[in-house]
Amino acid sequence: MRPYFAVLYDSFLESVKSKVLWILMAAWTLVLAGLFPLSLTSGESYRLTRRNFSGESSAKSIMDKLALASAGKGSRAHQAVYEKLSTSFQTLLKQRQENNRKISIGLLIDAMNKVLATKDLYDKEAWPTADRRKEIKELIDAPEKTDAQTEKLNRKLLDLTFPNALTSTDGQATWFTYLGIKLGQPLPLSLDAMRPFIEKGFFPLVMRIGLGIIAMLIAIVITSSMIPDMFQAGSLHLLLSKPISRSLLFLTKFTGGCIFVGINIIYLLSGLYLYAGLQLQIWNEGILWCIPLFVFMFMVYYAVSSLAGLIWKNPIICVVVTAVFWGVCFTIGLIQFFFNISLNIQQQTQKIYAVNDTVLSVNQQGNIFYWNPGDRSWQLAYGSGDGLQVLGPVWIEEQKAIYFGKSSKAPFGMGGRQDVRLDFARTPDLADPADTTFTSKPWEDSRLDSGPEMPSGPKQMMRWKNTLAVFNQDGLFEFDANSTNEERQFAGVSSVLKTFGLGNDKALTGFKPILKSEFSKTSDLCISASFETIVAFRKGDFVLWKQMGETMTESGSLPLGFDKDMVAVVGCNDRIAIVCPNGKPPVVIDLGEMKVVRTMDEIGPKSVKQVVADKDGSIAILDRDGIVWVSKNGETATKPSLSGQGSALALHFTNNGDLWVAHSIKNADCWQLQEQKVTQSIRPKLSVLEMVYRYIVNPFYLANPKPAAVNETIEYMLQKPGNKSIALDRLDLENPKEEIDPWQPIWSNSAFVIVMLGICCWYLYRQDL
Amino acid sequence: MATAISVDHLSKVYTEGLIFRRNHKALREVNLEVKNGEVFGLLGPNGAGKTTLIKILLGILHPNQGKASVLDMQAGSKAARRRIGYLPENLIFPRHHTGRSALYFYGRLSELTESQIAAKEHELFELVDLTGRQHEPVRRYSKGMRQRLGLAQALLHDPDLLILDEPTDGLDPMGRSQIRDLLARLKERGKTVFLNSHILQEVELICDRVAVMALGELRGMGTIDQLIQQNPMAQRGTVHVDVPSTATNLETILAEFPIQAMKPVVNNEVLTRIEIAAPHQSDVDRIVDILRQNQIGIVRLERYRPSLEQVFMSIVGSAPPHLR
Repeated sequence: MRPYFAVLYDSFLESVKSKVLWILMAAWTLVLAGLFPLSLTSGESYRLTRRNFSGESSAKSIMDKLALASAGKGSRAHQAVYEKLSTSFQTLLKQRQENNRKISIGLLIDAMNKVLATKDLYDKEAWPTADRRKEIKELIDAPEKTDAQTEKLNRKLLDLTFPNALTSTDGQATWFTYLGIKLGQPLPLSLDAMRPFIEKGFFPLVMRIGLGIIAMLIAIVITSSMIPDMFQAGSLHLLLSKPISRSLLFLTKFTGGCIFVGINIIYLLSGLYLYAGLQLQIWNEGILWCIPLFVFMFMVYYAVSSLAGLIWKNPIICVVVTAVFWGVCFTIGLIQFFFNISLNIQQQTQKIYAVNDTVLSVNQQGNIFYWNPGDRSWQLAYGSGDGLQVLGPVWIEEQKAIYFGKSSKAPFGMGGRQDVRLDFARTPDLADPADTTFTSKPWEDSRLDSGPEMPSGPKQMMRWKNTLAVFNQDGLFEFDANSTNEERQFAGVSSVLKTFGLGNDKALTGFKPILKSEFSKTSDLCISASFETIVAFRKGDFVLWKQMGETMTESGSLPLGFDKDMVAVVGCNDRIAIVCPNGKPPVVIDLGEMKVVRTMDEIGPKSVKQVVADKDGSIAILDRDGIVWVSKNGETATKPSLSGQGSALALHFTNNGDLWVAHSIKNADCWQLQEQKVTQSIRPKLSVLEMVYRYIVNPFYLANPKPAAVNETIEYMLQKPGNKSIALDRLDLENPKEEIDPWQPIWSNSAFVIVMLGICCWYLYRQDL
Repeated sequence: MATAISVDHLSKVYTEGLIFRRNHKALREVNLEVKNGEVFGLLGPNGAGKTTLIKILLGILHPNQGKASVLDMQAGSKAARRRIGYLPENLIFPRHHTGRSALYFYGRLSELTESQIAAKEHELFELVDLTGRQHEPVRRYSKGMRQRLGLAQALLHDPDLLILDEPTDGLDPMGRSQIRDLLARLKERGKTVFLNSHILQEVELICDRVAVMALGELRGMGTIDQLIQQNPMAQRGTVHVDVPSTATNLETILAEFPIQAMKPVVNNEVLTRIEIAAPHQSDVDRIVDILRQNQIGIVRLERYRPSLEQVFMSIVGSAPPHLR
């Protein structure tokens, strides 16, 4: 190996002697030196920012009140604040009042912040009850108020003056500083609260753009001449006359290039690691793990550059070819991304539901379809396509109505929870109780009713006896289907009142409580098929309710030893319950003895998406890897050989105990579990776009290397993946599995690098030089 | 004597053009044999195929047909390359090297250890007259210095066969003389030298045998004397006779011998040079007798022997066998 080490050493010597290494090191030193004085400092700030306003309407409401104060109306507190506003802003308010002149939220914030600095805002008459609060009283009584104390007192007074428009603050704030000088406005977060944002937002951004694009481009340009230089006639022939292999000579040169880039990345990232640790107190070893990942990413591009260098022996062509390669990868990735979103992710079945002979599905876009076997297609039954999660559908046989609610969480974590309406469709034969069939095209003739607002933040909708029940953080509520439209109208209005702590639940929404309890966003609840048992996973504990007369009564609680924030999915019948905590093996609980009888180690530590149970004791578990497990009353679960096993998306037990399994985007099969026999199969025909995706776009995408995907691995390393589960909630488990295997890009790109280097070696071996 | 290089019906075709493919025959059925301990010169004009032949011997190019062996091993094999010292034409050293670091680099490529290189370093710099300059960067070296450094690296691993492609290219007369002396010493040490050059005098001075190539073909091979003797110019036995320019009727007087040329020459006095074909000594004697009988003085008489250059030109200039 001596000759190859000599070539390796020579490559290094060349970069040292040619000063390229030193120039780059100097450049990185300058970057780090420039970055080093940038730091974070925490302190107290009660200044207003946009975050303190819940929206434009809050700003408008404040301005309305101040405008009223300008006319001597409104409360004394409003007038006191108005008096302290700058004259120019007072003029603006008057103009607004007279001419409807619009005032931006920015101007309002500036004006209010000036009020915060005034020494004599407090007036006993304006805020007569303010001194009852200990914290404010201390500030009022302080003999010589510092600027910070004044700001704090005034902010507290403003919060009292505009209680619903301004969100209060604890005063914790963080500034970016450069050379100790505070930069701009503070961020209303403590230093500790800022750190996760930096780790999960800022670091990945710096890595993706700074290193993933800019540094990578520099590395490609600088190393582009290494392989072509090897082909200088006068030096190559002498090298080849020595007892060394051409392929190994090339691979050694390639390795030399990677080592050169590696040295730079080590220097830069070690500097960044030290900077983050010393200046931001973020000792994220993920930064150091990024070193081999960036070198690997460079290897992918350099393999392309090297092949171009071997063929054309020209550094400029190497750079151009590498740029074209990047462009092609990016374009194919982008096309695939859009196709994948619109055809796969959005169209993917989220729920499957059978009503007699009609099969319904809900896709990720929030549309409800029914299966039309004649046309071999899913026909749109109802949907807005807004991407919001759908609650239900739930078929209430007795009412001949199917209920669904629109949801709580927009895709990709955008948007927040919101109160949702209950919609329901009734079949036209409502008047005829004998007719229980659900026609093949129910939606064409059915009547779609807009229902009342559901209890705040509904998580799940399920059948409850002859009506439906909605589960939210406050408990489980049943819908009074016989409530009149007027009552529902009232319910809609009163739900607004509820946010101010007024009204009562029954009057609020037309829903009355089945049970009330304090659940969290990570809780899950299940009603047995007989409606006699309700189980829930609540803040790490298992809870059981049993029917006692007319009411459901909490009959036991079992601590499972999980963290309060643990997310779990539960399923039950009247004998047993299965709790599937996220990332841990499911546990079987005997409801009679109220104890854990076994851990389902055969399933192992999984994230479970859905647990369904039928009347006869069969329980099916669907994990996030798309695998369906079946167990009888919690006994050893098996993995039946179902088609779509591994790509299953949703489960549903029919009334006669058959299991519908939705899988592979839009397919579904109905299984008779006893005999492992398919009784009905749904295979929709492909649309033209789907065919284009399946036969053109996807094969190209699969064959296409994805060097940029290494960024995903880098982000994974930076974000300390162990923390991820905290952010999950029940709906996250229902969402399509977005996270990729972080190491998958490494394997696929490794294969690409090996193939490229293999081609290079073969080319070199065959080529006359 | 064992064979150092053996080339058997070697052909090489270069294919050019990406779409419109054109073939160019660089070597045509070349047969060659170089014995151990020989200094062998390969002569030929540019484009004759000399470098192609050398590249095949080193394994840099793959032949299309025929086979070649070096030191009884397949040409281009790693084992064969271990025993070859090569000095390429227009050698370029990487700019970041000094003379010494370049010697160490190529020594390591030849699988030598640091100590082995160190043991030979001084001797070699002495030999190629670079002592005192070995620590200078090679980018400051003159072409001659680079050539001498190239020779040092070729000798570093004590190879059995030296393949030198234009070794004196760019050297001044002194440098060339040094290289010639060096090659003579190597020959004394039993090394085989395969020399590719178009400086004929140099080849004439140091080579035991030469081969002449043109248009990818081997046109002649042997010792220099053999090449000259085999040449038609030598075989015609032309005699040059210088006589005073006052002599007249020479064509009539020498009618029995065909006069090939007659031209005036100046050598202290104006003379006439007659070139007559006289293959045998008796013909020369008869010419002398006739001239003397006609009272024509003979100022100078010599039998013509073509130079290597003339032989080379006649071989290279003749039509290739496949076109004759």
